[in-house]
Amino acid sequence: MNEELGIILETTSKVLNKHVDHKLRQNIDNDNSDLINLWDEIEQIGLPKIAVKDKFNGSGLPLSTTLPIIKLSNNIGAPIPLSETILSNYILSESDINPPSGIVTYAIDVKNLKIIGNEISGELISVPYLNLTDKIVFITEIEKTKKVILIKNSREDKELKKNFLSEPRYNLKLNKCKILYIKPVNLRINFKQLGAIVRSAQMIGSMEKILDLCIDYCSQRKQFGRALSKFQAIQHQISEMAVELSASSAALSTITNSDDFYKNKKDIAILKIRAGAAAGKVIAISHQVHGAIGFTQEYELAYFTRNLNSWRNDFGNESYWEDELGKDFLENNNQNLWEYLT
Amino acid sequence: MSKFNFPSIKETNDLSNLRKEVRNFITKSLNHKEFEPSADAWVFSASPDFSKKLGSMGWLGMSFPKKYGGNERTALERYVVTEELLASGAPVAAHWIADRQSGSQILRYGNEEQKKSIIPKITAGECFFAIGMSEPDSGSDLASVKTKATKIENGWKLEGRKIWSTGAHIANYMIVLVRTSPASEKNRHEGLSQFLVDLSLPNVSVKGIPDMTGQRHFNETLFDNVILAEDALLGVEGKGWSQVVGELALERSGPERFLSHFTLLESFINEFKNILIKSGSKLIGKLIAELQTLRRMSFSIASMLQNGESPETQAAFVKELGNKFEKTMVETLREFSNIIPLYEWPSQLQNLFEDATLRIPSNSLRGGTTEIMKGIIARQLGLR
Repeated sequence: MNEELGIILETTSKVLNKHVDHKLRQNIDNDNSDLINLWDEIEQIGLPKIAVKDKFNGSGLPLSTTLPIIKLSNNIGAPIPLSETILSNYILSESDINPPSGIVTYAIDVKNLKIIGNEISGELISVPYLNLTDKIVFITEIEKTKKVILIKNSREDKELKKNFLSEPRYNLKLNKCKILYIKPVNLRINFKQLGAIVRSAQMIGSMEKILDLCIDYCSQRKQFGRALSKFQAIQHQISEMAVELSASSAALSTITNSDDFYKNKKDIAILKIRAGAAAGKVIAISHQVHGAIGFTQEYELAYFTRNLNSWRNDFGNESYWEDELGKDFLENNNQNLWEYLT
Repeated sequence: MSKFNFPSIKETNDLSNLRKEVRNFITKSLNHKEFEPSADAWVFSASPDFSKKLGSMGWLGMSFPKKYGGNERTALERYVVTEELLASGAPVAAHWIADRQSGSQILRYGNEEQKKSIIPKITAGECFFAIGMSEPDSGSDLASVKTKATKIENGWKLEGRKIWSTGAHIANYMIVLVRTSPASEKNRHEGLSQFLVDLSLPNVSVKGIPDMTGQRHFNETLFDNVILAEDALLGVEGKGWSQVVGELALERSGPERFLSHFTLLESFINEFKNILIKSGSKLIGKLIAELQTLRRMSFSIASMLQNGESPETQAAFVKELGNKFEKTMVETLREFSNIIPLYEWPSQLQNLFEDATLRIPSNSLRGGTTEIMKGIIARQLGLR
């Protein structure tokens, strides 16, 4: 880890730990002054534009370097669109659009988009945190070129999605919405791959927290006269979570420690597969060892497991990436498996 | 969890070149029909001739000091060589244990005389080792061993039995874990010691135990009052437990924990590629993702070993995950026989598959069971 990143992590950790508690997570709204204060401090330490080019007043760090910061934020369980803003601004900056200030979010998917003149109509699917911002980035193909579009949607035609997520997420109908910027996409890997990397880092941060919650809870909770952690059946379940987590972390470090991860798309698929599979086991086991208390809103476990449920499906689930990876190997070359792996 | 990190280690050009060199060597050996690729070759397929050849290439005892005939190469270089050998199903069983763990134990704990006489032979592929840990009444509970060594004038007297020692029938030595004094009430790990035992000594008898596949690799070794010289004690009297724990990190973390049946997977894909393209890409993708992750973790551990760390817990992670992967892999292939019936598979592939199916239960027993691995991890998590 380089020194600069170490300092940013330390500062981020201080800011988040000062503001984030479980009460904050239960009131994710733009009239919550605690949330606004937290975001103000996030802005002050420059996180939203950390992966934005110098010429747009960003810190210009490689996206891979921001992953430990994103992971940390979700380890602490900060109910803010930090990863969404970092990724949106990165996409804008790479495609030569000056990112706006404040919170920026993206649409994971789009449907039936039509552009007439400087206005766009259609549907934006799965837009996180639209209650906190009106600035949305999305990517769509227009006349065979992929374009990045930035809009500011001030109209109230959004629909809150009921989903597994602890965080707010919306679908949005655009009706002749004014386009602020539209430019050809300039990304070395596509939006889905970028999203897969970021969501994986978020999942791993959350799973680390969940493991800690399980260890703490099982060490304190007594049944049949002894702590749950003293039962071998419980120990083995929690060990299994740790094994899953360690494999996911190993897959993440391949991306984090590489300046040129764009070149190896295999590793991105592997990361999302590994983290998504781990999330499935971690959700099941963590709830099993917590019993009924884990199934409540007042205890914080569910905040983390609900997010996992959603993130493992965002930007392609395990099946999608397994299929992609399998096809990449089977269809695109004449190598045998060992040559492909090495 | 941060203490169980697996930092990502890049394969340098030098390592990639070494990989190519080993691969060329293997291709030549295959072309000359020097070996037939087999499943679980590091346990089942021993060829002293092939081991000698590897020795002459400088690929055994790779990280050992030149002073003792070693090659002073890195643990990462050794990793690359072992991976290539495992992936090709080469007959590496004869030297496997000596090269993987026993040589390192002797370098760490042996006296000058032992290092000078034994290490060069290991490096040359001319001296083989067996593991002397389990006993008829001690398996997972290793600290309960009853084999004992008693101090006599000018040496030791060894009495007891060791069991499940793979390759003891062709091995020259066994590193034997014994009691040299009774366990204290507080700490069962006290009073254990390791001995370096020449298996050709009088009163040592090695008896084969056919495994469930009918093959011989298991042995039971009887030590019937074997007289050992003073310096047969390896390391420090009474410190056998901590020594054996270090040895187990070498035993558990390597690529043999997930590449034992790689030849089966590769032959299967080569045979059925056209069908897999249509209906199997997801299954293959899943296996690739897991295998590649395991490779990264194991390679990362090799680098920890290189840096002098003791990654015992990380080794347990790799072993546990690797064992699971191999079971899933064989199961995935089995389900595929729904599309192409097994009797229509080429006979060599059928053999590999059947061998793997029969041998797979042993992978989560040898080197420590799943339950022991999970126990080690739980202890590190502070649950025990």
